[in-house]
Amino acid sequence: MSAWGVVKTVFFTGLTLAFFFVIWIYNPFAHKETYELPEDVTKIIEDPKAALEGRNLFKQNCASCHSVRYDGMYLLSVETKPEWEKILKTMGRPIIEKKEGKVQVKGYYLPRDVYEAVALQDLENLKASFGKVPPDLSTIYLARGPGYLYQFILDPQKVLPGTSMPKLFFPEYDKEAPQKVAKIVAYLRSVSEPPPSEKAKRTVMGVVTVGYFVIMGVILWFYRKRLLEKMGLH
Amino acid sequence: MLRKIVDWVDERAKVRELYKAQMVEYKVPKNLTFPYVFGVLALITFALQIVSGIVLIMYYKPVIAHAFDSANYTIMKEIDFGWLFRHIHAAGANFFLAIVYLHMFTGIYYNAYKKPRELVWIVGWVIYFVLLVTALTGYLLPWGQLSYWGTVVTTEIPASLADAPILKGFFGAIGETISVWMKGGYKLEDLALGRFFGLHVIFLPLVLLGLVGIHLFLVRAAGISNPEGYEIDKKSEPDKVVPFHPYVTLKEGAYAMWYLAIFFFFVFFYMSHFLPADNFEPADPLKTPPHIAPEWYLLGFYEVFRSIPSKFWGFVAFNLILLLLLLLPFLDFSPIKSARRRPLFFVMFIVFLISSMALTILGTMAPTPTNAKLGMFFTALVFLFFLSLPVISFLEWGWYKARGGQT
Ligand code: HEC
Ligand code: HEM
Repeated sequence: MSAWGVVKTVFFTGLTLAFFFVIWIYNPFAHKETYELPEDVTKIIEDPKAALEGRNLFKQNCASCHSVRYDGMYLLSVETKPEWEKILKTMGRPIIEKKEGKVQVKGYYLPRDVYEAVALQDLENLKASFGKVPPDLSTIYLARGPGYLYQFILDPQKVLPGTSMPKLFFPEYDKEAPQKVAKIVAYLRSVSEPPPSEKAKRTVMGVVTVGYFVIMGVILWFYRKRLLEKMGLH
Repeated sequence: MLRKIVDWVDERAKVRELYKAQMVEYKVPKNLTFPYVFGVLALITFALQIVSGIVLIMYYKPVIAHAFDSANYTIMKEIDFGWLFRHIHAAGANFFLAIVYLHMFTGIYYNAYKKPRELVWIVGWVIYFVLLVTALTGYLLPWGQLSYWGTVVTTEIPASLADAPILKGFFGAIGETISVWMKGGYKLEDLALGRFFGLHVIFLPLVLLGLVGIHLFLVRAAGISNPEGYEIDKKSEPDKVVPFHPYVTLKEGAYAMWYLAIFFFFVFFYMSHFLPADNFEPADPLKTPPHIAPEWYLLGFYEVFRSIPSKFWGFVAFNLILLLLLLLPFLDFSPIKSARRRPLFFVMFIVFLISSMALTILGTMAPTPTNAKLGMFFTALVFLFFLSLPVISFLEWGWYKARGGQT
């Protein structure tokens, strides 16, 4: 290739790569909120055991207002209805959990319209008190990220001024409060993120797939080179 | 035994003959550069979209009450490997458009739209347009906040025709008709979702399949262009051409493998752009999110639209750009082909490329007055590119004649 050819190739390749880097990976021009997340809190959020404790904390503190339908967690007032168990078993689908090779039913997933019909009055009561129905939190971790959730649950007004979500944890009186909030975030994370064993499997799958294509490309390249030499075509 | 069966079939189907004629005896220019691979990569991505789409359609439910949950619960959590197919489909849509853009810029650079390839370009343009509609309709299906509000904004863009300086009533009626027709009503509801679903999963893919078939046929009929920009006479210049197989197939096969490696790297390890966080919040018609913008592949047009102060002229401008792209073979009537041999065209190509990228990036930024001015500036440069083509062609005809018809 001539020097001019090299210049053009470098220019067009560089420009294209830079463009897709900005558009797909990191855009320094777009404004993005960041939320502070202390080191030890991050550790708790990523700990599967904390997620289990977080589930109980969620039930105690949040399930009066929020459901987590993807985890079979519903409003407490709905769960006390006499027909509830039957509705779950007839209209719901079991949420299967694999634990140490054993398959367990963790709860039931109820389609949204069925759930909202059963919980109609409860949801309307909440709406009357808070101005809006507190959202289901099944995917909130993916939508907001750990930093936002941690800061928001610790002090809703600070993050979302004017919100009707009450402040439930008071580090002034309860030394454990930040840890408790972190555990609740760990729980919300566990609902959205695959468990560590599954994550490890996906990583292996990814590495094998990518590696396979890289190597196949190299093999094809060299096979072609040899073939063309034989044919006198290179 | 196997050999016998194959022989038996071949005696009747004559596949080997076809293979020989179409793959080995089919000759292509030897000097094809790397960007010529983008057509094949587009084809591969199309196949990936169809396969992953077929898997997704088995579990997706096109009603508002279930759409979000079917994507985010059933497919992502309930079905084994559902996540993989959703990742492939979402990343694939972005890669598809990226590759098609690269393919189009390659075609522009080497002037592959010129005689005898005008039809290749025109059909390609229709593919591009249908592809944009396919992406737009698919984007609504998960029924997240971005899906919903992105579609609201897009379906309201034709309504800006009501801003016309004259015949307001007439233009307004057209705009509203288009807008209502897109949504199936005045609001985005189940009817719109069903309509978008039907278009996305069956009608548009079938149209694309047909168009891609025609596109490939036309590429074959006209022969592939070459970077030097003259038509190779395959008979008198046998050393300039090579058999399609194995020379090109193996080279592009290797590139395709590396492309898939990059693609699957994103699928497994970097999906945060292709499945954006905001779309994991279910659609809420009462809650307008703070920033609404279309997907990146429309941002260039969107920036043209929003940086022009009048909505009507903004609408006209971005549609005009689409139209000018279609008319490229006729705007650029110079007898000389390929940017390699056309310094003026080379400069204008770079102006066009950089302006398109700048408009797209401006589209991701906040709509400040400075950004609007920059947007107008780059819009003007895009138009300058198109308008310069007839002028450059005119000059080049002069040189061509002066050289006695030699290119
Ligand atoms: C007394 C009822 C109530 C309780 C208890 C409650 N919330 Fe809320 N929550 C709300 C309401 C109401 C909203 C809607 C606020 C809004 O959108 O302004 C909300 C919103 C939220 C949001 C969404 C914020 C956003 O950005 O949209 C999250 C996350 C949340 N709550 C988490 C929790 C957690 C975790 C708990 C338990 C520690 C909890 N909530 C307990 C009423 C409650
Ligand atoms: C579904 C999307 C598309 C597919 C699968 C596809 C596929 C192909 C393939 C395989 C080729 C062979 C030559 C090459 O590798 O470059 C080709 C050529 C071409 N395509 Fe496309 N294409 C698509 C979209 C488009 C679009 C959107 C345009 C432009 C508007 C376009 C314009 C062209 C042109 C001009 C050529 C001829 C190139 C040459 O002969 O040098 N294509 N296409």
